[in-house]
Amino acid sequence: MPEPIDRDDLPQATVVRPRRTRISVVWIIPILAAAVALGIAIQRIVTEGPTITVVLKDAEGIEAGKTFVKYKDVNIGTVTAVRLTDGYRKVEVTAKIDKSAAGLMVEDAKFWVVEPRITLSGVSGLSTLLSGNYIGLQPGKSTKSQRQFTALDGPPFIAEQPGRAFVLKADDLGSINIGAPIYYRRLPAGQVVGYDLAPDGKGVTVRVYVNAPYDKYVTPETRFWNASGIDVSVGATGLEVRTQGLISVLAGGLAFDTPTFLPATDAAPANAVFRLYSDRATAMKQPESDGRRYVLYFNETVRGLSVGAPVLVFGLPAGEVTEVGLDFDRTTMALRPRAEITFFPERLIAHMSRDQQAAGKALAGAGPGARMAFLRRAVEERGLRAQLRSGNLLTGQLFVAFDRFPDSPKPKIDWTQDPVELPVVPSTVTDLEARLTGILAKLDAMPFEEIGKELQKDMVALGKVMEGANKLLIDVDTSLMPGLKTTVESTNRLVGNVDTDLKATIEELRRAIASADQVLKSTDSTLVGANAPAQQEIRDALQEIVRAARSVRVLADYLERHPESLIRGK
Amino acid sequence: MLSAAQAGLLGCETCGLLSRPARPAHPGHCARCGALLEWRRPNSIQYSWALLIAAAICYIPANLFPVMRTTTLVGSDADTIMSGVIFLYSSGSWPLALIVLIASVMIPLGKLLALAYLLISVQRGSQKSTRDRTRLYRLVEIIGRWSMLDVFVATFTVALVQLQPLMSVAPGAGVAFFMAVVILTMLAVQSFDPRLIWDAERPWEGRHA
Repeated sequence: MPEPIDRDDLPQATVVRPRRTRISVVWIIPILAAAVALGIAIQRIVTEGPTITVVLKDAEGIEAGKTFVKYKDVNIGTVTAVRLTDGYRKVEVTAKIDKSAAGLMVEDAKFWVVEPRITLSGVSGLSTLLSGNYIGLQPGKSTKSQRQFTALDGPPFIAEQPGRAFVLKADDLGSINIGAPIYYRRLPAGQVVGYDLAPDGKGVTVRVYVNAPYDKYVTPETRFWNASGIDVSVGATGLEVRTQGLISVLAGGLAFDTPTFLPATDAAPANAVFRLYSDRATAMKQPESDGRRYVLYFNETVRGLSVGAPVLVFGLPAGEVTEVGLDFDRTTMALRPRAEITFFPERLIAHMSRDQQAAGKALAGAGPGARMAFLRRAVEERGLRAQLRSGNLLTGQLFVAFDRFPDSPKPKIDWTQDPVELPVVPSTVTDLEARLTGILAKLDAMPFEEIGKELQKDMVALGKVMEGANKLLIDVDTSLMPGLKTTVESTNRLVGNVDTDLKATIEELRRAIASADQVLKSTDSTLVGANAPAQQEIRDALQEIVRAARSVRVLADYLERHPESLIRGK
Repeated sequence: MLSAAQAGLLGCETCGLLSRPARPAHPGHCARCGALLEWRRPNSIQYSWALLIAAAICYIPANLFPVMRTTTLVGSDADTIMSGVIFLYSSGSWPLALIVLIASVMIPLGKLLALAYLLISVQRGSQKSTRDRTRLYRLVEIIGRWSMLDVFVATFTVALVQLQPLMSVAPGAGVAFFMAVVILTMLAVQSFDPRLIWDAERPWEGRHA
């Protein structure tokens, strides 16, 4: 229990002004907090950009929350989710795009994954080595917005420089790749932007972009060619090497130029279609629009004659074989090989001397009647004939040669048909064959059997001769042998006598040699032996000579020093 | 047990001096320390509720917004409190993850709930387990300040890790909201008058809280 308190002793509280409020001001705090939170939420909702999905091949280097969508290196969004598509075949990436970039999400906007790419013609995306891959965006021109996209395999070509795009048609792609350079007079003037297989599978469409100011040199007459690698040609002038730069050697490239013989024209419109030639020579060849077609019917094999084989007139190139096939002659019910050739008069005109070229051109440009007349004269009166010739003995490649064969029979030619059939003569190869066949036939005709029979008869006769000879030999044996035997015996005896005489002679010789030996021995002891007197004497004599030489040297030395002693004495 | 208010006396909340009120309606100031004397803290429940609600509102963006934004050469990374916990846990340091989880998630939330419970129980005049509720109040009062740990860590990191251009750390909006939560809950706890807990048991005459 508490002690009783003296209340009067307790201090008196002081009075202050009353302050009474029903609803406290403190409610401002939660209202403020709510307002801030609400404000942030509203701002979030207002600035909320679109959410897009991009379908990728794979999600290499793509991470939710860490991969950005960038345009011009500015983050315009973040990947929020990465998941597989329904068929598990691709990856669907969901990205939240900033509201400020919402206008970029249009129909033809292109997305691709930016990753480090190192190609021979350049290095790109190096910054992604550190920052990780990101999704790049190329804005489209459309205004229709879209939220579902499919990413490209690689970066699209972004035309940063002014210029124009062109389309090239080629038989095959060669070694061209996207980004391969295009050269104009060996200056890098553009690049390959893309390529497609033609819809029918025959040929390739290459899209190129030529930067300004080079694009204005692309005229409708411009030729594009493949400048990949090194073009080495050996001609009568020597070795010629053409390249367009190291990169094109390694990575492939294209080049273009306009042939100088063509009149200058205006620049070609964008997306104009050109043919892509395989090399410069083909590309820059003069146009051969007025090729004349002729047909040849051969009576021999055309194996080795292919489309594109040259047609030579007097050994000069004048055209090419355009078709090789068969012809069925209804009247004779016979099959024969047929070759169609195209003849380009320009090529022959080009071989003429300069002042004659005009005349040649005039002839070529004359009407078909005059041309036919010229050809008719050449064929009928001067014996112009086509002949198959072997271009390469190893591969058996054939070409068509036109030469003069004045002795050949006059042909019957229908000059009205199209194409005109030109007369042919058998090829030299076939000619050779025919001759060989003739020789073989002659060989065949030779009476080998009779010759064999004759030979057999001769052999029998020879056998008989041999038999006679044998008999003769036996006769010789029986009649001559006894006499021969006695002769041998007497000879033997004679030899025996000679033998005894020889023995005595040898004995005497031996004795002579012995005495000679003794003489030599005594000489030896006198001259060469250890105690031989002669040797001793020789030694003494030599010593005397040495002494004499010494005294001579002393004298010489003295005389050298005292030459006056010769006069005055020592 | 007799309370001072029942006896018509006032205890100074600051120095503990028991004094008579100047007037029952306006008790006046403590004669010893000069602190304002009140029968009960005026508008205690209202204040507490207001601050508690404000804290609860701030608690949402505090958890949704990133606390720190780390920018390195490789890119920038924003972490919320929860993603930090998950990161710590997934990188193997679960004790650290537990500390952060308790200090930054559970304590603020627990404080909010505990205070709400106290306020509701007082408003409904509950007479049950007054001692436990008083203990709960003390616990909330003591533990509350530790939640500032997170804010300190964030501010220190931001101040120290400025290795431009290699790495830099910037505070996120979350940290401000989190700080607001901690401060508001502390103020709410401060405004709550624990004497109200046992007033329900022993009502006194001049009661007009």
